Amino acid sequence: MSAATVVRQRSPMFGRISAALVLVGAVLLLYATGFFQEDKWGPFLEPSTWRFLGEGLAVTLVIGVISLILSLLIGVPLGMARAGLTGPIRYVVGGYIELVRATPILAILLITLLGLPRLGLDIEPFWAGVVALTMYTSAVLGEIVRAGIGSIPRGEVEAARSLGLTYRHTMRRVVLPQALARMTPAIVSQLITLIKDTSLLFIIGVQELVGYGRSFFNFYGNLLETYFVIAVIFFLINYPLSRVSRRLESGRPPDERVAISGEEDQVTGRADHITRGTT
Amino acid sequence: MSDILSDPLFVRGYVTTIALSAGALLASLVIGTLVASVRVWGGPFLRSLTGVYVEFFRNTPLLVQLLFLAVLLAPSNLGVTRDPLVAALFGLSVYTGAYVTEVVRSGILSVDPRQIEAARTLGLSQAEALRHVVLPQAIRTVIPPLGNLSIALVKNSAIAGGIAATDLLQVARILEARPPFTFDPFIAALFAYWTITIPLALAVSRLERRLAFAR
Repeated sequence: MSAATVVRQRSPMFGRISAALVLVGAVLLLYATGFFQEDKWGPFLEPSTWRFLGEGLAVTLVIGVISLILSLLIGVPLGMARAGLTGPIRYVVGGYIELVRATPILAILLITLLGLPRLGLDIEPFWAGVVALTMYTSAVLGEIVRAGIGSIPRGEVEAARSLGLTYRHTMRRVVLPQALARMTPAIVSQLITLIKDTSLLFIIGVQELVGYGRSFFNFYGNLLETYFVIAVIFFLINYPLSRVSRRLESGRPPDERVAISGEEDQVTGRADHITRGTT
Repeated sequence: MSDILSDPLFVRGYVTTIALSAGALLASLVIGTLVASVRVWGGPFLRSLTGVYVEFFRNTPLLVQLLFLAVLLAPSNLGVTRDPLVAALFGLSVYTGAYVTEVVRSGILSVDPRQIEAARTLGLSQAEALRHVVLPQAIRTVIPPLGNLSIALVKNSAIAGGIAATDLLQVARILEARPPFTFDPFIAALFAYWTITIPLALAVSRLERRLAFAR
């Protein structure tokens, strides 16, 4: 008898019937709200709608790309400092990373937007958003980089050093190339979180995809349909990324996987959960 | 600062955030365990249906989900409630449930199916095999990532303010816009969040170390 027949015992009919019931129930509920009325969906057949929402999507992507580049520029040195340095700087960097990661992004966003003007530094909502997303994402990337470097066995560093390589050379030729390969899935996962979090800028009045959606449904009165379409647009961007992340990670032995704690997209889709560098 | 910490509105916001997170955690554990069982033991159709649930909710912004839900539950549509807190609780549970599903599923799959075969051969029923063989091992794999999810959940609960639920962060926003117009409410909210997230993070990392040794 194969493993599958032992593990799976319930009749497939039961599952199919209950699934069909759930589906029919969901459809009926949505039908009650007029979700399937033609006039609500009609506007989505117009090319002008997609040009309009496309503009919003462009803003969302610009926010995401700027924040990602800045986060990499700041996060990688932060992680290397925490992994390689000794002394006070290491603790300052560590404290900063842990505090930022313990804070809701929306709180960082509001504090940036409302706090900086009080210090005499006027900032537009768009840039407040970029600053907040960058602060948060760079802290997470810093942690990923540290975990990646920490996942390389110390023996390899010692071997490289005893062969006469300098510390810099050891990092560049031995540690970083391997660490980077291990970190990539976690970084792609964090990119998904970043793209989802760009929507928070809507709360402070930045016109990104969700904001464009609101202008759109204010005109046509199709709130639910528009939110659904926006969710689908985000899905179409993020789902391929999540596949890429999983694909890069598959086949890697568990002790070579890098995942950090406390971030939603960092803990899923793995057969086992490994945390490194948090001690 | 002390007048803010004793402000009834601020205290209510703090309690709301804790209650919202705790409630959503419980609900998402129930959702996640049920859906994960279906993901592992269900038929092909059910498996793909729950797969769509997991992937869709994980790959779309929580804010958009909350906005959709708030409109869906509002009197003009389903007429369930106009209370944004209920919508937030519901939305956070379904969102986190998708993540819990993946965690629990990987917990179940981390136990070699041949162990179930062995247990069945020794005369245990399917339920007994799950209860005494799979569960004790799966829990070990599952606890640290669930702890991590609960930290993420507390942070995500701040997004409830986006649909006007009066959680901690939203309260800080309200208080900041009132006389004497100081920035203290946000500073207080920051520390209030840290009183929840930092102990949780420390507990999770301790747990991870203990379980790592036990393995």
